[in-house]
Amino acid sequence: MGLMITAPSDKIATATGPLKYAACATILLFLSACGTNKVIVEGDFPKPVMTPLPLNIGVWYPEEFRNHEFTEIAKTPRDSSWIVHTGNAQVEMWNVVLEGMFQNFIELKAAPGTGAINQGVDAILIPELDELQYAIPTQTHVKVYEIWMRYRFKLVDLDGEPIAQWMMTSYGKTPTVFLQSDTAAVNQAAIMALRDGGANFIRSFSRTPELREWLTSMSSRSKEMTP
Amino acid sequence: MNGDEIRSFTKTALLLSALAVILCGCVSASVDEMVFNEPTEGIGDASIVILGRRHSSDYDTEPEFIECVGDHIAAKDKGIRVVGELEFLNALYPWFEPRTAPMHPRDIDRLLQQKPVADKMLELNTEYMIWIDGSTERTNSSGSLACGIGPGGGGCFGFGTWGDEANYEAVIWDFTDKVEVGRISTSASGQSYMPAIIVPIPIIAPVQGTACDGIGTQLLEFLSGKY
Repeated sequence: MGLMITAPSDKIATATGPLKYAACATILLFLSACGTNKVIVEGDFPKPVMTPLPLNIGVWYPEEFRNHEFTEIAKTPRDSSWIVHTGNAQVEMWNVVLEGMFQNFIELKAAPGTGAINQGVDAILIPELDELQYAIPTQTHVKVYEIWMRYRFKLVDLDGEPIAQWMMTSYGKTPTVFLQSDTAAVNQAAIMALRDGGANFIRSFSRTPELREWLTSMSSRSKEMTP
Repeated sequence: MNGDEIRSFTKTALLLSALAVILCGCVSASVDEMVFNEPTEGIGDASIVILGRRHSSDYDTEPEFIECVGDHIAAKDKGIRVVGELEFLNALYPWFEPRTAPMHPRDIDRLLQQKPVADKMLELNTEYMIWIDGSTERTNSSGSLACGIGPGGGGCFGFGTWGDEANYEAVIWDFTDKVEVGRISTSASGQSYMPAIIVPIPIIAPVQGTACDGIGTQLLEFLSGKY
């Protein structure tokens, strides 16, 4: 269904106050359709319901991860540019997930292997966000907003020497809702993707082959230390 | 057109708008039901939870539809406690996310092997878990609507029409016995119209609402001792 709004420019110039404002609002509405959509992802993340793994884990969020921002410049005048800032939400979500997943968890203030004292931890987890993709209904003609992310996780010892490295994807989608803006829907899809990331991490952690070996060695070490 | 004529025209348009609120597009709906082991005296102090299935790549069961069915049941029988979908998902994160949600009632046993999950389930006292899968889709749309604004006033002229189709299936799991005890499916379709003579007059077919009432009423008959 087409919608056309016409306002002759010569008449706007002589129009009364409220009409001027209405005309300006209409023009702004049209201009905003081609502007930049900025989403700072915000949401609440629940603590996982599980028996914590008997490990002391530190996490180090690299600067790029902590301030992660996805930018896409519009390719045609009809498209909109997008900036999706996920950094704050990433840190918030992973802190909640890791805190519930491990017996002891701390967020490190310095990178591993830089002389910082991280004696209290068994290993240090370093998450990185390799890629983020989004899709909105105007691009796909499907009634859902989607966000897809690919993480790269590194588990290192106190000196920064690698123990394991693995990839993991997460996906979130949300249906179109009447009167919901694109930015609100992309935010919701990002929250779903983050929740899915946490769920995938919890489910796959002990199944990852390299980690399984390390978990077994940690388990036997703790048995040896128990009198 | 002089001032009196404009006022008379506006009155007619407003009258038509008021009429449109009363008018609704036609909806045709059907409900199929197959249930057994009905709780003849209701569910007592236990609660139920209604969850949307979100596995498909091209649609998402709308959260507002799930809420609508829950509200329908809770409003008709105040004795039935319906746990909110998000409340349940957060309380048992990450075990009911799209990636991790149980697909068969027997999978619940596997979940309950984890003590924190079993404790949380006991706390929620959920007797029935109802999974709803489906969506409401736009099937067709045609027509055009043009709106104009000038110093003398504004208005719209044209005609638009569109069709919607809703298909949902509810699967009821008995949480105590870990078995499926029923399936209810509903489909509804309807055509909406929007004629515009100065003021657009929406004549909306409540397709999703009809599907919600249909599935909600059948669930109520199953769950409630009063119906």
